[in-house]
Amino acid sequence: MHDLFKAELRRFLAWALVYAAAHLMVLMFLTRVVDLAQQPDEVYLVFAAVLGLSGLLLGLYQMGGYRRANAWLNLLHRPLPPWRIALALLGAGALLLSLAVLLPLLATAAWQEAMTPRVLDLRHWLLCAAGYVLALAGYATGAAAMLLPRRAAAAPIVFLLLLPAAYATGLGALLMQALVLAWLLALVLVAFKPDVEQLPRGTGAWLLAIPMQVLMWLVLVLAGFGVELLWIAQGSHPNNLATAPAGSAKQADSAEGADLIVAGLAGSRHPDAPLWREQAAISDIATFGLGIMQTPAWGELSNRAPMEFDDEERRIRWVFSHDLGKFVGYGLANRQRVGELGVDGQARFPTPPLPGMGGLLLGRHTLHQFDPESQRVLLRVRLPDDEIIAGVQYDGERLALLSHRALYFYDARPMRLGDGLLSTLQRVPLPDASGNLQRVDVMELLDGHLVSFTHTRLRHNGMGGSFQQLMRVDEAGRVAFVARRGLDSGYGPLFTWQTWWLSPAISQGLDALRPAFSLPQPGYSLSPLPRPAGVAGLALGLMLLSLLVGAWHVRRTELSRPARWAWCLACAAVGLPALMALWRLAPRRQSLDVPAADPVVAPMATP
Amino acid sequence: MSDFVIETRALSKRYGDKFALRNLDLQVPGGQIHAIVGANGAGKSTLFRILLGFLSPSAGQARILGRDSQRLTPEDRGRIGFVNEEHTLPAWMRVDVVTAAQRRLYPRWNQALFDEVLGHYHVMPSQKISQLSRGERAGLNLALALAQGPELLVLDEPTLGLDVVAKRAFLEALMYSNTGDDCTVIYCSHQMDEIERVADNLIILERGELRTMSAPDDFVARVTYWVADIPFKGPDPRTVPGLLQLQRIDGLHHYLVLDQGPGFADFLRAAGARSINAMPVGLDRAVNGFLAKNHAAPAAA
Repeated sequence: MHDLFKAELRRFLAWALVYAAAHLMVLMFLTRVVDLAQQPDEVYLVFAAVLGLSGLLLGLYQMGGYRRANAWLNLLHRPLPPWRIALALLGAGALLLSLAVLLPLLATAAWQEAMTPRVLDLRHWLLCAAGYVLALAGYATGAAAMLLPRRAAAAPIVFLLLLPAAYATGLGALLMQALVLAWLLALVLVAFKPDVEQLPRGTGAWLLAIPMQVLMWLVLVLAGFGVELLWIAQGSHPNNLATAPAGSAKQADSAEGADLIVAGLAGSRHPDAPLWREQAAISDIATFGLGIMQTPAWGELSNRAPMEFDDEERRIRWVFSHDLGKFVGYGLANRQRVGELGVDGQARFPTPPLPGMGGLLLGRHTLHQFDPESQRVLLRVRLPDDEIIAGVQYDGERLALLSHRALYFYDARPMRLGDGLLSTLQRVPLPDASGNLQRVDVMELLDGHLVSFTHTRLRHNGMGGSFQQLMRVDEAGRVAFVARRGLDSGYGPLFTWQTWWLSPAISQGLDALRPAFSLPQPGYSLSPLPRPAGVAGLALGLMLLSLLVGAWHVRRTELSRPARWAWCLACAAVGLPALMALWRLAPRRQSLDVPAADPVVAPMATP
Repeated sequence: MSDFVIETRALSKRYGDKFALRNLDLQVPGGQIHAIVGANGAGKSTLFRILLGFLSPSAGQARILGRDSQRLTPEDRGRIGFVNEEHTLPAWMRVDVVTAAQRRLYPRWNQALFDEVLGHYHVMPSQKISQLSRGERAGLNLALALAQGPELLVLDEPTLGLDVVAKRAFLEALMYSNTGDDCTVIYCSHQMDEIERVADNLIILERGELRTMSAPDDFVARVTYWVADIPFKGPDPRTVPGLLQLQRIDGLHHYLVLDQGPGFADFLRAAGARSINAMPVGLDRAVNGFLAKNHAAPAAA
């Protein structure tokens, strides 16, 4: 086993070193021009894709070299159990990836820590580990795809496709990646056997069957997306009409603030509605939305947005350190550390703040303000601990703060004059879940505000409704309902709930798994619509049909009796994806009736 | 189960609509060198893969060294050597490193035998496998397999693609190693001259079925070659008993027949033969004639 490990190491060592050198060069170049520790999520996603793909290619190539019948026979026909041979190969692959992927990442992080004034926290070291685990997951995916029979080879890829959709952060994200890696490695080990064309059995069969069913669901969802593309090309898709129909969600999404308020007031019986309609035409309407879908969390591996802001007057860049709980400053001109910046002196921030406009620092429940003159961070707003800040609108006079439960109005003038907390002027509860809020439009009245909430976000998949609601709040903070109108999404129930009726079990299972290892967030708070009876009936019908066809099919396969029952149950519970997976993984049993030998061909007379 | 090193019972393997093995009943006794011969697609490689547990049978049973071939343990594999026609070895490794690894893996490693077999080739320990010629790789592969001290050695077309010199070196290395004394060898090849030199037992497979198993000399004795001067067309080939092959050359009828004694001359005379000559054939001719008999031909031919 040790010899195999060393042999495999020698096989790719030169390539790994070349990759490591190129990787290091790219990282060092990038770190010269940007702060790699303070990039937005999208940048890390690109890195993750490249690392995962690198691992995938290594897995495919390494195992592909042994996949030919004679090479496979030569590898496994030796006095060693297959799992030990597998571990030797996988161990070598893991070590090679640590050279090619992990080492350059750690070296770059170490360089940044030692040679620059930039902030490098524990979470950044963990981010390097996460990159390595992703490369390993890609590697295990490639190895499993190559070792599994062709009809099952695509199943492992489902983990890499779904992983970016998870909300997990920090150590939770690392744990989730590790769980995925463990599943994939188990899949490789059960596939690593002499008869490589035979599907895994027993527990191994389920290790494969579950991702296969999810993959089949994804295929169906993608097919639905293909239909949507045709719909768009045909020109009748509700989001791509030349002119959005009146009363549609699309129209509300793209309307001017004044037009939207006028349209919302059209059906209102409020005595002031005619006056407000006239006022809307001449007023400044403030429009904003859910600016913060996810608030930063302690120890998160990546950043929603760079956690830094610049003090332009003093030419100082302040970067938030999760380890210190404070901002760390360095000079933009001389690249020298200038100190730390905590709350009202040197206190830790209660939660990691997201820098916003006007020196605002938006924490999870608190709003702080950086005062460049005094070089102090002042607490301006504190929401209840169970209320999460989701956006802010600040124009110097007035501050509108959106939480995942309500909209708050503050008189912002004290922010220029004093250093105290702002007192709430008015609070308007959100009419529905914050994750479905598309936009907020505010018109200032003589004695309060007229607020329009447009809840159309995620209407396309039934995760939220589609309506506009207007509320009036007076100076005393009394909130009154003004009007509500439904907005037509234009999709129809079949399209809206397509991911659900294709397989309620998978759709809801993934929805339940998605927020694992993450904090509640404004963007995750949703209010799904009740599913129409017709959609539920369709889902039930498909499950029943899958059960019937599955029960008929399993009788024609070589599956054992318990496996047949399990597949029937899966078809009944999961529906079409299970039936498709069954078709892929359990083909029809071959007839064992051996025919008589072919008739003898008469010898040919040669002239 | 028995003393046979290889034993199959009603073994069948089906690929889609095609059977690679059909109800194969084969018992190969221990000791000696057994040659397995068959045309391409006869099922030889399929048989080996099933025997080594790398393929599942569609039906029937296969046992090797007394063990169900689908349940071979690592210890069982240590008792079975295998050399295939590709001589698959890690191209990036050096000869001495590969050898050392094999030595550590097999407790019955025979260094003297390894040196003896490899002595037939100009292979340097410091050479990389990728620097070896195909013949040298074949020799190294054979040396590695023999030095493991296997009880059963399977050679699947080991000389395929080798030139004459390399082929001779391979055979000499195999023969002079006295392998057959304490190791059963299954030798699969299309080269009849090789079979003639090394095999004690001849097994002919055709379309997944066992056609014959006997000593090569016994098989050759069953095939005879007759040349007859028969005016006109001669007898209808379908009426010729045991006919394997018929040729008409310069007005003479050449018959290759199976299991026909002197009585075949009477058949030819009855068919109008004016002169008859019978002569023995070599293994190559006998096997080729035997296999050519049922070889597929275009329907229009």
